[in-house]
Amino acid sequence: MYGLEVNSNCFGCGICEEICPMDCIRTDAEEKPYLAFDECWYCGACEKECPAGALKIQIPFLIC
Amino acid sequence: MCFEELDIDLLIVGGGSAGTMAAIRAKEINPDCNVVIVEKAHIKRSGSITMGMDALNVMILPEKQTPREYAAVARDTCQGIADFGPSYTLAERSFDLLKKLENWGVFFPKDTCGDYQMLRIHMRGKFGVAMDEPDLKVMLWKRVGESGVVTYHRTTAVALLVEDEIVKGAVCLDLRTGKLRVVHAKTVILANGGAGRFGLPSSGYLFGTYDYPGNAGDAYSLAFQAGAKLTGMEYTASNTLIKDSNLPLLYITLTRGARLVNGFGEVLGEGAAHLKAEERIAELQRAGPLFIRMDHLPEEKIQEIEHVLFTTERPMQRRFWQQRKINFRTDPLELALTEIQLCGGHGISGMVVNRKAETTLDGLYAAGDAAAVPMQHLTGAFVFGQVAAESALGYMENKVFHKCRNNRLVKKTQADLDAFRDNSLAQVSPHDFEYKVRRTINEYVASPKNHYRLNRAMELMQGFHQELASKLIVNSTHDLGRAIEIRSIIECAYLSAAASNARQESRWGDRHKRTDFPDCDDVNWLKHIDVCRDKAFPSLKISFRAVE
Amino acid sequence: MKVSYMETDVLIIGGGSAGSMAAIRLKELNRDQKVTIFEKANIKFSGSIPRGMDALNIVTVPGINTAEDYIEAQNIACEGVLDEAPSYVMAKRSWELMKELQSWGVFFPTDKAGNYEVLKTTPKGRFTVTMREPNLKTILHDRFTKLGCTVVNHTMALQLLVDNGHVAGAVGFNIRTGELIVCHAKAVILSAGGTARFGLPENGYLYGNYDCPANTGDAYSLAYRAGAELTGLEYTLRYYIVKDINCPLLYITLTRGAKLLNAIGEEVGGDHPGIKNMFDEHYDKGLGYLRIRMSHLPVEKIEAVEDILFSTEKPVLQRYFEGKGVNFRNRDIELGPTDMYLCGGHGITGVVVDTGAASTVPGLYAAGDSANVNRGHLTGAFVFGQLAAESATEYIKGISSRQCDPAPYIAEITEKCQVMEENQGFVSIEEFEYKTRRTITDYLTPPKNEYKLSRAVEIMREMKKALPRHVKVSRTHDLWKAFEVENIIDCAILSATASMERKESRWGYWHHRADYPKTDPAYTKLLIVKRGSCDDDVTTRLREPDKSISLKGGNQQ
Repeated sequence: MYGLEVNSNCFGCGICEEICPMDCIRTDAEEKPYLAFDECWYCGACEKECPAGALKIQIPFLIC
Repeated sequence: MCFEELDIDLLIVGGGSAGTMAAIRAKEINPDCNVVIVEKAHIKRSGSITMGMDALNVMILPEKQTPREYAAVARDTCQGIADFGPSYTLAERSFDLLKKLENWGVFFPKDTCGDYQMLRIHMRGKFGVAMDEPDLKVMLWKRVGESGVVTYHRTTAVALLVEDEIVKGAVCLDLRTGKLRVVHAKTVILANGGAGRFGLPSSGYLFGTYDYPGNAGDAYSLAFQAGAKLTGMEYTASNTLIKDSNLPLLYITLTRGARLVNGFGEVLGEGAAHLKAEERIAELQRAGPLFIRMDHLPEEKIQEIEHVLFTTERPMQRRFWQQRKINFRTDPLELALTEIQLCGGHGISGMVVNRKAETTLDGLYAAGDAAAVPMQHLTGAFVFGQVAAESALGYMENKVFHKCRNNRLVKKTQADLDAFRDNSLAQVSPHDFEYKVRRTINEYVASPKNHYRLNRAMELMQGFHQELASKLIVNSTHDLGRAIEIRSIIECAYLSAAASNARQESRWGDRHKRTDFPDCDDVNWLKHIDVCRDKAFPSLKISFRAVE
Repeated sequence: MKVSYMETDVLIIGGGSAGSMAAIRLKELNRDQKVTIFEKANIKFSGSIPRGMDALNIVTVPGINTAEDYIEAQNIACEGVLDEAPSYVMAKRSWELMKELQSWGVFFPTDKAGNYEVLKTTPKGRFTVTMREPNLKTILHDRFTKLGCTVVNHTMALQLLVDNGHVAGAVGFNIRTGELIVCHAKAVILSAGGTARFGLPENGYLYGNYDCPANTGDAYSLAYRAGAELTGLEYTLRYYIVKDINCPLLYITLTRGAKLLNAIGEEVGGDHPGIKNMFDEHYDKGLGYLRIRMSHLPVEKIEAVEDILFSTEKPVLQRYFEGKGVNFRNRDIELGPTDMYLCGGHGITGVVVDTGAASTVPGLYAAGDSANVNRGHLTGAFVFGQLAAESATEYIKGISSRQCDPAPYIAEITEKCQVMEENQGFVSIEEFEYKTRRTITDYLTPPKNEYKLSRAVEIMREMKKALPRHVKVSRTHDLWKAFEVENIIDCAILSATASMERKESRWGYWHHRADYPKTDPAYTKLLIVKRGSCDDDVTTRLREPDKSISLKGGNQQ
């Protein structure tokens, strides 16, 4: 899925999954987050909460 | 069937602005009160205000204005359909609220004379106050934690427990484990928002809504199923907003000198944020699109606007403009009408409440967008969160409570969820089903309305309601959560169509425009239209209530 | 990419009604000339009429009407923006066409006296003859197959080969295998339909269009890039027909006594409600959705309607109405606005052609929805298919062969495919298409204005550039869709540009401009678009319409 960019700072803490208001972030086998559902409201909470500054959320394609 | 059971004093459904404030207030009054919040997401970042907010839209400063003045403006904004009491209470307590928030560290900018910055948002008077608090939600979350409130995250209320017409708690679903959590409570406050996810946005993206898309009308649905009265469901509100995005910057810019321009380049009302919604919409249809132009503003003003937008309310705005390659200094910002929503904060829809946040059911209170306190915005969420907590605690004093004995509702809820999970006849994804429901709302529930369309709407919604459980493919608890939301959307659409059909006149411009009854009729229709469950959905009772 | 080569005399692009008829005619004229058809799908059931049809919309029936009558009616309908000569030729040949179809076994019902059923569907005169042929496509298919035409199925033409200003064949793309096919030809007939998949339908389903969704403006795009003139791109058409499904039952029912009602039960439009009436009710008065009521009709009439709909035109319609719980005897049928599209058969969009179906580029002919023979419907497709065949047969007599080097075309296509396969694409082609088409709907739907139209051009150019980089391609199918979306984008650019140039309002809701709300007689002309120095350079000009018929016959406009 497009939308959530994860850089190498990510250490798999899972806070983004916990905090997402739309519950659309999940972590994969390597504990890296991805958008499991095309339901992002691009509020930026995940980016803000990430302690490692590893996330960047993009505006969904259909919107921008 | 196994489920977890809790026995508590006060259950708050929804940990947004109203819910967190209610929880904090309850603990202030009585630290020993056993208070629980159930929150669909995570309260640190949930609800309509995930980050911060740039203003409190309703603020009455002592010696500058009076609550009575505000209540009059609220009534006029709603063309007479607004009860005096709740608007008055809202205005009356607004300044105390400001002081409280300031004590907590929320920043309200002052000018060089030391005065708060008042903003003209309503049709007359300056009742908005500038606030610059990007961390508002975090502050609320911290206070909730510090006060000893227990929060169950990723937990959604599926049904209210009602016995002998008294609300006694709620049946909740844990969205991670898929298990039921039955919360027995002496009182319940519904603070889980309005129906932000209602009409379909023109982008076609289901979650690209103006208001928080997690608010799918769950509060209205819970209230309706429990037998509480709802009102104003015919007020189908859309907003003029940035095209394709929920970035509400009309007031932020217009109150700072930006210009509203139409598609022919004509300027409409320089610096005036008070151009009525109807006028804007008429202009959109005649000479749209509309634009906000800021290229004439001095650099400092533009920077001020950027600061407010990009730090306070929705920091993602910066990225949106970047991706669109738009610079406020040189390019116009295109506006369009959003999809429709039902909301007590931006509109007049919601549970019928009095000035004490009491609903029409014993033991049930409502605050925020879930409650019908017309145009209350964030101030209302905060004030009535407090009021609801006060009323709830007052109710609990010296009263004997009987826990809900009957397991019938729990069994029914479990059966409903099992029906969703049964995929033997399922063929349609939650995305596709929801898309269809919501484009049907656009076609049949939104203005321009007429009795043919509204009756069709009710028919179609009944059809969706019947086939939802069997047709929907539910493969996870996430899908189950979406299924419940889709059901709420369907029920709200049905109620909205029914209420619209009952109001045989046009009122509030585009928000209830009927081509079969095109005139506003104060003689016959200057009253509230309330809806209430009869036996089971779709049977309902419509009643009329005089405006207080 | 694998490339194969072939040679033919006449290459037909698009095996629908016009293409099939062209193929038949070519072989009738000269059995020895080689005829090849590129068909995007499978020619047995492809195009706007995959099975059958319930009427031949334009026939000049002796004793009932004349071709001059037809021109008069068409001038009214098109508000004067009409090249009369091609329409006249079509009308003149329509009766013979009908007789020919009859001789092939196509059924036209008659009453006891032997009269055909002729219905009124134009503002003036009666020209529509009832046809009841559920196997029309099969009849055509069997004919051209027997006559020895070569059919290349699952092949979409991506580029026309142009040799010294003459069209000399095409490069096709096999939508299943991803291979390229170069077909050298002495002449090419474009009959690939209009841009039916253009705007977004309200139901959000990418393939929920009124007309055949396989028609993605390929002919317009190919012709434009080859330097041919096109016209009518500003005629952005929407019908008002059965809601959410393309079931054309307005005339079938109204001509049998059904009533058209608005939301509050008032009858709309009298005896012959036009599209304008319906749009007025829906948009101006807010009294949509309109409905067709048949419950007052005698059972035999209702059964007649059901028979036509469910057996002739689209048998699946029965299932649709069952699914919606609609029984004509007791429920109304809901109507609503369709998606927006460009079409020569229903509208006036298409490659500019003369009375011999010749475009402005030598060797290139056009017929059917691809050609501008105003609102020619099926008759136009058939007659101009024949005319194209006749003209092409003459044209190629003087030509030995053309050897156009296809290498640069192949290189361009190959490179594009490579970019798409190797990019860091993040969005599916479906989603890209959704966004393209809802943008078209946002900015091109009337009321139009300068701002919206220029934004449309801007956005569409950006999307065209973004497509190869952003779209995640994982199968040949995705590549195919990407090529179709490119054509849709091309058509949107042409449509927005033409709409901007036509600084007036005309044709009711179809080209209504809020910034120029009145009809301006200075614009009673054809607006021609043509490629300038490069694909991005869209040139336009206004041209007087051909009035040779009305001026000659003394018919005043």
